[in-house]
Order: sequence, then C-alpha cells, then structure tokens
Amino acid sequence: MKEPRTRGVELRTNKKITWCPGCPDHIILESSRRAILSLIKRGFKKEDFAMTCGVGCHGKIFDYLDISGVYGLHGRAIPTAIGVKLGNPNLHVISFAGDGDTYSEGMAHFVHACRFNPDITLVVNDNQSFSLTTGQATPTSQLGFKTKAEPLGEFNFPINPIHLSLSAGASFVARCNANDIAHTQAVIEKAILHKGFSYVEIIQDCIVFNLEINDRDNRMYKLQGDNRNLKKALELSQEYDYNLGNGKIPLGIFYQRHRKTLHEEWPILKKMKKQKKGWKHYKK
Amino acid sequence: MRLNILIGGKAGQGINKISGIVSQTIAAHGYFTFNYRDYPSIIRGGHNFNILSLSDKQISSHESKIDIIVALDEFTKKRHALELKKGGMMIDYKKFMHLGLNLNLALSGELTKLLGIEKKTLLKEISRNLKGKNYLNGALEAAGEGYESQKEKFHLRKLNNKLSIMSGSEAVAFGAINSNIDLYFAYPMTPSTNALHELAKRQLEHNFMTFQPEGEIAAINMAIGASFSGARVMVGTSGGGFDLMSEGLSLQGISEVPLTVYLASRVGPGTGIPTYNMQGDLDIALRSGHGEFPRVVISPGDPLETIEKVNEAMYLSEKFKCLSILLSDKHVAESEFSSNVKANKSLPVKVLRKVPGEGIVKASSYDMDDSGVTTEDAHFAKKNAEARIEKYKDIKSYCKKFEMIKIHGKTNSKNLIIGWGSTKGAIVDAINGLDYKFLQVLYMKPLSDQIKKEMLKAKKVILIESNLTGQLGRLIREKTGIKIERRILKYNGRPFRSDELRKELKRI
Repeated sequence: MKEPRTRGVELRTNKKITWCPGCPDHIILESSRRAILSLIKRGFKKEDFAMTCGVGCHGKIFDYLDISGVYGLHGRAIPTAIGVKLGNPNLHVISFAGDGDTYSEGMAHFVHACRFNPDITLVVNDNQSFSLTTGQATPTSQLGFKTKAEPLGEFNFPINPIHLSLSAGASFVARCNANDIAHTQAVIEKAILHKGFSYVEIIQDCIVFNLEINDRDNRMYKLQGDNRNLKKALELSQEYDYNLGNGKIPLGIFYQRHRKTLHEEWPILKKMKKQKKGWKHYKK
Repeated sequence: MRLNILIGGKAGQGINKISGIVSQTIAAHGYFTFNYRDYPSIIRGGHNFNILSLSDKQISSHESKIDIIVALDEFTKKRHALELKKGGMMIDYKKFMHLGLNLNLALSGELTKLLGIEKKTLLKEISRNLKGKNYLNGALEAAGEGYESQKEKFHLRKLNNKLSIMSGSEAVAFGAINSNIDLYFAYPMTPSTNALHELAKRQLEHNFMTFQPEGEIAAINMAIGASFSGARVMVGTSGGGFDLMSEGLSLQGISEVPLTVYLASRVGPGTGIPTYNMQGDLDIALRSGHGEFPRVVISPGDPLETIEKVNEAMYLSEKFKCLSILLSDKHVAESEFSSNVKANKSLPVKVLRKVPGEGIVKASSYDMDDSGVTTEDAHFAKKNAEARIEKYKDIKSYCKKFEMIKIHGKTNSKNLIIGWGSTKGAIVDAINGLDYKFLQVLYMKPLSDQIKKEMLKAKKVILIESNLTGQLGRLIREKTGIKIERRILKYNGRPFRSDELRKELKRI
C-alpha cells in the first residue's frame, strides 16, 4: 500500500493517461472527477472517498483519480467495494467496473449486490466489448457481433443489465451516455448520495473494437424525474435491448427507492456509523 | 485406565448431542475425554457414530476396540458388534422405544449409571445444554428413567481434575476473538462451517461481525476490501472453496493487505468424501495462488494449539501485511478434546497502518511504482519482486520466537516420528511409554531449521500423515534434501486410532 503524489488538476494524479486518444473513458473520468469534487465542495471529505476497480480499460481510472482505493481483480470490484464499506461504513465507496467485468466474470456479485443493498455506488463503463483483450464479445454485445473469438458472430441475445438489476432488487438504477459530462456528473452525484446500492450504467463507444454499435447519441432521450414505480421502470428498461436497431434509448434514473441498507441491518455497523469510526478506531 | 464408548444410530437421532452431554458429564466427574465424530453427508437417516474415549490421564485419540456400545438402532448393533471387546457391554435401544426422540437421553442415563457417575451430574449437564427448551422436562425424565434401569459396572471414582471440553472449531472462534477479530467472511463448507457458526453466535457479545456472502470468491475479495479499510479479518473455507479463493490469495501477495485464511481440509479431490478427514491440502496451502509471494502456513494439532496459532496467524498477517493460512482438518475441527490447561496469553493484533479516511491510500492487483500507480517498468518489477523475498526473510527470522515445532515422548530416543496437525493426538497416545520421540511440525512455512538437526540425530525416522503421498515428507525433502523412507500413511478418510498406530509402529 503506497501513497500517491499529485500535481496540477484537483483530484487527479500525475500519472500519464494511457487510454486511446478519443476514448470516452477520458470523459467518464472527468464526469466522475467533477461529481466527487462537487460533493467535496458540499462538505464531503476527500479522504472519506474510496474506489474499487476491476480489470479492463475502465480500471485505469484508479491511477488517474487521487482518492483511496483498491485496484482489484477482474470481475471482483463489487465484493471488494462491499468489503471496503464493511471495514468502515463511513467511507463513500464507488466501484468502477466494465461490462465484461460486471456482467460476465462478476455476474454473481452484481446480482447479489442488488439483493444485499450495500450503501455503495457501482459505475459500469459499458462498451459492449472486451476491448483491452482485443475485442471479444461480452454479455451485452449485440447479436451477430463478429470477433476473433466469435468468428461466426455472437449468437446469444444480449442481457439487459437495467432490467436485470431492477428484478434483482437494486434500489437505484440509472443509465448515462458517456459523452454527456453534465448529465453523467449529476447522476453519479445522486447515486453517491443515495442510501443503498446505486447502479449507474454508462453507455460508451469503443473507438477501436465493436464499431458497428457506436454513434447512438441521436437515439437517446432523457427520462423526466425519478419517482416511478418498479413496473414502469421495468417497462422503460425494455425500450432498448442492446442490439443494433433504431429504437429509443432512455437515459437517467429509472428507479430510486429507499430500503434498509446492508449496514443498517447490523447493530455494530450502525454504532460505528453513528460514532463516525471504522474498525480501526472503534473501541470494543 | 481407558474406556472407549461407541454411540451410534441414524442422523437426526441426536447422536452428537448425546455424546456431547455425556462427555461433559464424564469431564465433570474428573475424567479426560476425547470425542470422535463419524458421520456421512446425510441430514436424516444413514449411520452416524461417535467414539467417546475416557481416561484418568490426558488423551486425544480414540481406539478401535470398544468397551461399551450404545446402539440407537439395529444397524449399529450389527455394524459394530465385532469391535466390541470380550466382556464389552451393549446398551440396546429396544428398551426405550416408547420414548421417541428422548431415546438418546434415556440411553445416556443408562450409560452414566453403568460408569458409576452420579445421576445429578448428568441431569445438570442436560439442563445446561437444553436450557430454555420446552422439551427439557421430558428429557430429564427420560434420562432418569434410563439411569434407574441400569446397574453400575465400572465404578469410576470421582477425580479432582478441572476440565473443559472444546472442539477445534470453537477454538478457531476463541483464537479469533482473542485476536480482536472484526470481520469473518465464510461460505458454508464442511468442515469449516462450524467455525462460522461458533463465531456467528458470539458476534454481538464480542463486538465483531460474521458475513456469509454469495460464494468463496466474494468472501476473500470482501475480506481484502475490509482489511484495506482497517478491519482485522479472517476468511474460513475448505478445499474446494480454498481453490476458488486462490486468485484472492495472489491479490493479497501483491497488494499486501493483511489477510488470514482458515483452511479446514477434508477428503478430496473434487467433492471427495465431504464429512471425512484427510491431510491432503498442505500442498495447496503452501503453493496456491499464481506468482511468487510470501506467506505463513501454520497447522495446529488440537484446540489449545488452534487458539494460539490463530492468534499468531492474525498477528503475523497484520505485522508483516502478509497472508497467513491456518491449516486444520475435519478431525481437529469437529472432534471434542478435554483439557485441564489454558491457552497461552494472546499477542495484541493492532492495525497501525494508514487506512482510508486518514489520507489517500492505494492497494493494487497491479505492480506499483513508488507513487502508488500502476507500472510495467523493469526496474520496479525487479525491485518489487525482491522486496517480497526480503519480506519473507524477515517473517522467517521473526517466527523463531514462536513454537514452530514441538517435541513429545521420550526426548532422548533415537527413534524419531515426524507428523503434523490432527495426527498429533493418536501419535502422542500411541507412543506413551514406548521408545519414541515425536517431532510435531506446527509451522510449515517458514519451516524450522531444527527439523534437519533432529533428523540427523535420529537412527530411525518415521513419517506419519493422513494422506496418500506424504506431503510433509515432500516438503521436508525439499528443504533438507533428506527423504524419509519409513512412512505410515492413512488415506481412507478415517483418522488414526492410537491402538492401531501402535501396531503399525511395531511393524515398521
């Protein structure tokens, strides 16, 4: 465990960015940075933020954001984040993950996080491709996607992570467009402020692999408000099925409800939260 | 003086409950006990039995020849009849069929009377065990009815030993609590599950938390996350679950987030024989996880050692930010041992490192440079790898202050037995009064340099392990260059019995 040095831009480390020039990951970094910065301006302490990352292009954000965190294993950003939160319920924990990471290797964790309702935020960069490993299909890749590993084309229907998370009991479900900094920032802020498991799916293009799915901005529209019941949210979630097509793609907060978080179920964690202490300083 | 009592019946008839209560009764009467559990992976039905041994001296093993059989069903009588000694007794379920589920308690009454222990001692233990249960009165009546129906035979006079009974699983809980554990993560898998139960029921009283996530992979990654933010953590699992965790072990190696793993092994490979015993997982404890990184592997031989070694494991993992593995097995975890000694004082496990909330801290599964960001630089690759080896050297030198090995038996004997973990009890009991020295290895990694010295001093060296290939023997050969030719290996899932081992020693 080491302490990073920083200079220049607030909340940024001095590490040279190695994403492809033009990759929307740069924009997601900026939206996330602005969201955290905005919360710090509203009284959150920088030291109280912690992130966890999986392995994939998205994970490089770990080196660029100057907050604490664990750069975990591929697919395991969510359980690592739940652990960080259990270790100190006063931390604001954000888990950055990718679509391969979350919906393939780590699917079990995703579903159970929706069930457990830990007070953490999950941000998934979904470019519908395993890009860092040179472009294989992920569970959200469109039908027919031809890759080096799937030369006959992907013949599995993509999963709909928004619909899945709602069915699994997630208490905050949103979708953003990576290209829209202001909207993504606003949604991430709301997600962090939400008490419980908040899930933000970010649709992004990969500019090197899976090009045929790109350029969907003109099909996207923003949902108004977040006060709708589960039935309506589920209905909206099915407007877009992640395949090629011309249909509309809703963005924004599909669903938000407060229910008891994992930490509120445990008497000792409630006490620690009240005393503003993690296990290290909690007197037994 | 030693008696072996076999209590058998179907799963669900309360075999384990009753052998527990009788053990406590015998211990309250001042006699040492050892209670071995033999049960298949069945919830109701099948055939379960316990062998409860008692003695006026310390014992930690069971034997193959039985003095009293307590049969709760017909099958037990048939299956174990040949194990009964000449003149041995059979306590038959038939007399108390009318008592239904209280049959086991009636038979415990008979057994207690047979041994010559006062009725009130038994009733007190029953009341303590079934406190608050609505069937307590019925249970006491059944035990009384059984007691009055039998004649005293063994006339055990009361002894003054102050004894406590403990299983290895309870010991894991006590060791962890002594180390001020904050979080225990585990997914159910025999024989590690009981440690989860023992910890879970004490969590509110001792201010810690147990959590059962969706699987072992989640468990170990959560543990690393929680340790990162400042908690003292442990995960518990068995062979297959440990395999799933191995990527997490490797993550510990590079991220240097303190982590202790309790590994209770059973018969593998695969699902194997889930409820039986095997020392088959030493190799994976030593090597599991990709890449090269330091770790500590410790294996206790009984509950008392388990309490102490869990504490040392947690202490070392926090002090050196390393991986500690506490390797136990079904025989230590689920057998109940009596003892009149208390565990040594615990070392304080303190989190002194900086944690999130106190500043910016980063831990990573990637190689990092000095500023805490990912690097692929050759200079740092070499430097970080060497730092891991240096750390292991420090651990090795520090561990010398602990009991890495123990010597039992005749200390000047030229006949040296080497063994580890759950074979301890049977070996110590088997060599009692014979010309053998027993070297018990507790630290597998680092391995004590003393082992080679002892081997060179001996005329005859014998390796005893409950596995097929002699995994400790292989480790010793790797570290010392000495191959142990004489080996007693048992790999049918059943632990050594001391009388059987004594015969084997004469043969070899």
